[in-house]
Amino acid sequence: MSASFAFPPSFRRSVITIVVTAAVFAFAPLVAGSFALHVLTISFYFVILAASWNLLAGYTGQFSLAHHAFAAIGAYTSGLLGYHYGVPAWIGIPSGVVMAALFGVILGRLVLRMRAIYLAIATWAFAETVHIYLTADYQFTRGELGLSVKPLYGSVDPLPYYFTFLALTVLVLIGLRALIDSPIGYFMRAIKDDELRAKSLGIDTTRVKIAVFSISSAIAGLAGAFYGHFIVLLSPQMIDFSEMAKIVIMVVIGGFGTFLGPVIGAAPVQMVMTYLQKYGEWNLAIFALIVIVLMRFSMEGLASLFTPLWRNLWARHDA
Amino acid sequence: MPLALETIRLVKRFGGLLAANDVSLAVEHGEIRGLIGPNGAGKTTLVNLVTGVHPPDMGDVKLGGQSLRGCAMHEIARLGLVRSFQVTRLFGNMTVSENLMTSFFARRNRATGDGTKQIGNMLELTRLGPLADTQAKKLSGGQRALLQMACGFMVPGSCYVLDEPFAGINPVIKDAIIDMIVDVNRRHGATFLVVSHEMAIVRRLCRQVTVMMEGRVAAQGTLDEVARLPEVIAGYLGKALE
Ligand SMILES: Nc1ncnc2c1ncn2[C@@H]1O[C@H](COP(=O)(O)OP(=O)(O)O)[C@@H](O)[C@H]1O
Ligand SMILES: [Mg+2]
Repeated sequence: MSASFAFPPSFRRSVITIVVTAAVFAFAPLVAGSFALHVLTISFYFVILAASWNLLAGYTGQFSLAHHAFAAIGAYTSGLLGYHYGVPAWIGIPSGVVMAALFGVILGRLVLRMRAIYLAIATWAFAETVHIYLTADYQFTRGELGLSVKPLYGSVDPLPYYFTFLALTVLVLIGLRALIDSPIGYFMRAIKDDELRAKSLGIDTTRVKIAVFSISSAIAGLAGAFYGHFIVLLSPQMIDFSEMAKIVIMVVIGGFGTFLGPVIGAAPVQMVMTYLQKYGEWNLAIFALIVIVLMRFSMEGLASLFTPLWRNLWARHDA
Repeated sequence: MPLALETIRLVKRFGGLLAANDVSLAVEHGEIRGLIGPNGAGKTTLVNLVTGVHPPDMGDVKLGGQSLRGCAMHEIARLGLVRSFQVTRLFGNMTVSENLMTSFFARRNRATGDGTKQIGNMLELTRLGPLADTQAKKLSGGQRALLQMACGFMVPGSCYVLDEPFAGINPVIKDAIIDMIVDVNRRHGATFLVVSHEMAIVRRLCRQVTVMMEGRVAAQGTLDEVARLPEVIAGYLGKALE
């Protein structure tokens, strides 16, 4: 595996686009009020969750329903370490990432040979188990009372959190793009299309699948750990199935298995859901219906609208 | 020098059916061996046993003298054994170039050089260049078969096991595939086991052929030698040559 490898030209273009877009968002605080900034910050959190779940489900074909649980594992690891042992966030957050990655390896190994629907059920059961544990062991986790977590910054001003999550999103997206454009990215898509052929070519599909499971879990854990230090009160509701449904909805509406999909799907869904909150669970039902229609007619999400634009943007460079 | 590919008394049962019945086969280095036999004779089963798709019930496979017992499919591939599937398998949602690149990444090593350049060569050789950015699932049957072969040649293997690479393909593409086989055989000394019903091509490529019937090796020799055997004529060639 020591052969040289160069990223395709499209990698640089993606990085440039990500950085430029982020630079535009850096000016948002000039026009947005603090509630809007709060909503945007949470949107960034969901961009990270949606993009990392898309890596697992959209690219590799492992339709996990435990992604929200991995975010909670990251959040609670850092939160509990801080609450019980006074561990600071800069140790707590990496610990959360490691914990999520470890659980990711274990769950990834357990569901390795499962077909789509069984994998979905097994991962859902795992998420429920974590949910039940957090609720039941309330003496340690504080259960439904909620675990208070120290804020990352001294004040409740949303501005530094906004920039933290913006930076985190940029880093995660560039990292994911690098992964997708590297050999392992080809292997992931190969496994999703035809695992037997992938093996026959010499791809260690077991290793790739477990690696992707743990990488995507680690990223969810990273987002969750930061999220905990931002909302400062954790509850087992973080593993409510509606949270997972939201991630699926974001990715499918944005474009399942496309890089852009989760990035452009997360914010609109999060915003619409925030503003429609007074209709309660109904707005989830409406989105779920949209997802069913999109999947039933295998329609591409919003990302497909941008494909011609993306081509035109770089066409002159190719000519 | 050990044999390139050897199967030793392979047995494989599917329920009550003996799909491979004591199959022993020895292919020399640099040889292009033909494997012929009627449908259902067990040719694909043998390919699957050699490449690790099915574990044999009994017997062993040796590649370059090394036993493959207990080796996973991808490990066998990484030892230099390349196969093609009778029913073409490609990554349908990936483009032609991406399919080639995936094969390259899967088996590359220190000596394989630049994948992009190799893709260029393959696209030229197969004339699939104009389709480089087309999804594999949108190709015609012949183009798919050709691409599957090209994937196998992205990184030269030591031993190729090709399951009916010429079936249902137009003559131009057939010639392209034959050229690739001859080229890799000459330049890299690669060994081939080629399953085919096309006697003209088998005669052209293979000095030796092995005939399988009902899960057994029924005969072996030059095509003309085996074509004279009464049991081969009765069980296979009588029908194939009609
Ligand atoms: N995976 C399998 N399960 C059950 N039976 C199989 C399987 N693969 C092949 N067979 C049976 O084994 C016999 C040999 O098949 P095959 O190896 O495909 O023959 P050939 O390639 O020579 O036409 C056939 O009767 C076929 O139905
Ligand atoms: Mg066959």
